[in-house]
Amino acid sequence: MTHWHSWMRKACAQMLVLFAILWLYVGGSFASQMEAPRGSERLTLVKQRGSLIVGVKTDYPPFGFLDASGVSEGFEHDLAQDIARRLGVSLTKVAVSGANRLQKLEEGSIDVLLATTGDTADRRKIVTMIEPNYYASGVTLFMRPEQNISDWSETRGKKVCATQGSYFNRIMAQRYLLELQMFNNARDAKLAVKDRRCIGYLFDNTAIQGDLRLPEWAGYKAPLAPVLNTPWAIAIARREGGSEFERLLGDVVADWHRSGFAIQREKVWGLPPSTFLADTHALWKKPDANGARLCEREISGQWPSVCRNPVLLSSTDTTGLRRLGLWFKENTGLDLSLIYDEYDRTRFLLGLGTTFLLMLLCVSGSLLLGVLGALLAEAKLRVVSRLIWMASIVGRMTPPLLAMYVLLFGLGSMLIAAYGISVSPFAVVVWCLCYYTGSSIMTALLFAADVKRQSNPVFQLRWGNMRELIAMSSGHVTAALVNVSKATMMASAVAVPELLSVATTIMTDNGNVGVMMNVLLLTFMLLIFATVRVLKVLERKLLGVTK
Amino acid sequence: MNLLGLDVLRELITWTPFLLTGFSLNILIASLAMVIGTGLGWGLALLRLSSRPRRVKLSLLLTEFTRNVPTIVFQFYLVFMLPSEFVLPGTSITLGFPSWLNASLALAMAVIGFTSDNLTATLRDWRKGDHAAALLFLPNWTSYMLIIVIASSTASIIGVSELVSRCNTVINATGNTGLMLPVYLYACVCFFLFCYPLTRLMQWTRAYLAARLGPASHRLGKASR
Repeated sequence: MTHWHSWMRKACAQMLVLFAILWLYVGGSFASQMEAPRGSERLTLVKQRGSLIVGVKTDYPPFGFLDASGVSEGFEHDLAQDIARRLGVSLTKVAVSGANRLQKLEEGSIDVLLATTGDTADRRKIVTMIEPNYYASGVTLFMRPEQNISDWSETRGKKVCATQGSYFNRIMAQRYLLELQMFNNARDAKLAVKDRRCIGYLFDNTAIQGDLRLPEWAGYKAPLAPVLNTPWAIAIARREGGSEFERLLGDVVADWHRSGFAIQREKVWGLPPSTFLADTHALWKKPDANGARLCEREISGQWPSVCRNPVLLSSTDTTGLRRLGLWFKENTGLDLSLIYDEYDRTRFLLGLGTTFLLMLLCVSGSLLLGVLGALLAEAKLRVVSRLIWMASIVGRMTPPLLAMYVLLFGLGSMLIAAYGISVSPFAVVVWCLCYYTGSSIMTALLFAADVKRQSNPVFQLRWGNMRELIAMSSGHVTAALVNVSKATMMASAVAVPELLSVATTIMTDNGNVGVMMNVLLLTFMLLIFATVRVLKVLERKLLGVTK
Repeated sequence: MNLLGLDVLRELITWTPFLLTGFSLNILIASLAMVIGTGLGWGLALLRLSSRPRRVKLSLLLTEFTRNVPTIVFQFYLVFMLPSEFVLPGTSITLGFPSWLNASLALAMAVIGFTSDNLTATLRDWRKGDHAAALLFLPNWTSYMLIIVIASSTASIIGVSELVSRCNTVINATGNTGLMLPVYLYACVCFFLFCYPLTRLMQWTRAYLAARLGPASHRLGKASR
């Protein structure tokens, strides 16, 4: 034992020297700028005791559970083990429940709580939450094996099973337009899924992951990306806030993200890849403009606000545009995230760009198809003209949305199965809308040609007199082109990330329904207004039509 | 292959009542949109013919507004912004506000613009005593209704259980991806069988009216949605 002690003392002395050299070498300025955290009674106690007492779950597979021989293990148990290893102490695990976990921390019977605890503003008033968060859970759908739903937008208006009392029921029903069927307990709800009484069971994705491991639910799945995500945090006692202990645990979690340890453990426990872990891993490894790490503690000891969970930030934690946006939100309740949040802003602008491109392609494509169709139909090429004429009738009487489904899912799945060719949804949308609108433009042009023939029986539609005929039917043609630019929003039904689908995603992520709906309507009205103006100018300049 | 074809046919027959009930909802949505839109559009058309320039200006502004509102977005707007149920004022009766009604209201916006534009000319002809020219409004109106029936398929995006949405339900319920193409084509045929005869009838009506009016008074129906 004394041998051990003397070794330790030596090691400590060596470490001190090393630190002193580092301090002198790397720049004392850096070290002296960073505020040193105050000492921690708890950390001292842990080191004296030689063991770290962690509150964990034993009834929540695969995060914390008992294996066949009664030994507790799981994703969170691995994390707890790693903390103890880094502290150089042994690990003592104490099973906690959702009801008593925060209390156990407060009364001091555990040092650290690592037990699927959601990081919320309310809980932050009772305990100290370690940043960064180590995991996140959300809401997803537990579905039958043969269900063919891959996106939340496909669940609109569908019957979904849920359990009474879940905080997310109302929000999900409102934001995702689900028709909820309420059950008293999870068991009944899951059996209802089995009996095909609903498309799926709405519940916490981490709990569903536990169910999917059971032989009873073999083949069942939960493919929808979890939404309404709540970050999970390691918690320590409230009085330990700002201490050396908090700093140390924060650094450990940061290292889990940087080194990929968390993702590796996730894989080991057979959890599906979590977007939260992937995003956090990428963010914490990202260099800043100077090539240093972006997520490095600031002088205050705090992580930079870009690295912190935006859900938990208030205006006083941030600077610049985000601060202004949060201040506005806190005072008016209006969340203009698409202005102050870089991620939302980028998404929105990309959606706007996609919609703009769709409109441009659909308007020009429809006109081209209409003109070509009319020329071919009038060209007196027996078979071709007749076929074109028939195609235009079918085109006008097939809802473009249905045509998209036929091409994308009907023929598209065949093409993939037979030749491995995948069809681009964007191209399908453009084609279907151009076909529908082109058919209607073609009909209008042919009608105008018929009118011409009443005064001049030998009149034939040609490239040379096309301008005159477009001018004759310009009212109809313009209306059709305005319509097709409005119809581009149909693309959202086949997951093209245009403005409508982007806006509904931002809305469901942030819950700012009113703001996003008004922004969406206003933006589209401006776009349509601009389209109408441009078409009017073109009518006047190219065709000489004046009204 | 033949056996497969028979299987598909049997499935389609089994699901026919379900699918056709969905299609009747499409027609209901479109009809209601036409009724509401024509009523309000009529009002705008009357305003446009008023002798007071202010009223004319107001009507033109409102018409322009209804022309610019994209129906698909407006449908989303109504679904998210209107309560899905409300209490009748002064009573304790709770009325549901079904999503298909939102689809109807959104489509009605387009009908308002169409009616306002077309009926203005029609009313003018009627007042001049040119009744036959005014009658041209009827085939144009019916043709526009067919456009609205086609457009009602977009109600599936907000989860209204109409034909297109029910196609997806059938594909999901059977779990048979081989059924995808036949079910969608079946829906296409439904739309075609409804729209084609009516279109031919309206072409005939238009030709008949035009023959009575003489060759010069052909009017191209203006379709704006």
